[in-house]
Amino acid sequence: MKVLLVDDSTTMRIIQHRCLNVLGIDDVVEAEDGRQALTHFEQTAFDVVLTDWNMPNMDGLALLKEIRSRNREVPVVMITTEAERKRVVTAIQAGVSDYLVKPFTPEDLKAKLQKWVAAGV
Amino acid sequence: MTVSAPNARSSQLTAEYVNPLIVATRNVFAAMLGCVPNRTGLRLRSADDPRHEVSAVIGVTGKAVGTIVLSLSQQAACEVLQRMIGTEAAQITGEVCDAVGELTNMIAGASKAQLAKYELSISLPNVISGNNHRIHFPSNVRPMVIEFESEIGPLTIEVGFTGV
Repeated sequence: MKVLLVDDSTTMRIIQHRCLNVLGIDDVVEAEDGRQALTHFEQTAFDVVLTDWNMPNMDGLALLKEIRSRNREVPVVMITTEAERKRVVTAIQAGVSDYLVKPFTPEDLKAKLQKWVAAGV
Repeated sequence: MTVSAPNARSSQLTAEYVNPLIVATRNVFAAMLGCVPNRTGLRLRSADDPRHEVSAVIGVTGKAVGTIVLSLSQQAACEVLQRMIGTEAAQITGEVCDAVGELTNMIAGASKAQLAKYELSISLPNVISGNNHRIHFPSNVRPMVIEFESEIGPLTIEVGFTGV
């Protein structure tokens, strides 16, 4: 199980990375923005992508569209403060697999990750 | 020509944002820091009001334009980092700024979700530190200050909006 974890906040990457480790996922590649993530995505096969929405250089929605133009199957989970219905619909139309709104409790995050990690095993 | 109309609109928009911010701040603190701050005051900001040592600033654009500022002491900012990822800090570091910025990002995001009719977007957070630092709102905006007490110390949220 290989996970691409994308967030411009080091704090959020640490929180999510630890959560993945608790779930037994140690093969995690981190990226600070969509552009960096896309470079990783083009070089490596990932089982799950976890991405923030608001990031510099390339945001999560643009990253999602780039990923979907290359790969329709890989689960992409948006973990973001963007909670409005319109935004969620936009992400769904772009091909997002699942959505988790910040702030989340550790239990919320674990449940969401567990679902996609289990699906990818 | 009068300048009262845009100011009245600005005050209305700013006031409309106060309750969503209070709700968002309490929810975000509860989820990410394990404590719920209590609102202790609400007032108009005057130009020479002092701030705490650390401020995170987020711009909001859409059918209204404004700024949200979370301000807290150095000690409280370090406590934010400690509570979010367990890392101790005695002074303001990049990690502390990142944690405070992300906390503010969540508060801004959660509050704008309650005002979907304005179709708001938020900027990436900027964090400023230092005694007596200044953040200037547009001249036609009279910001409001929401004061909180919390387990990590006192904090304020400033908000100022104007129409487009």
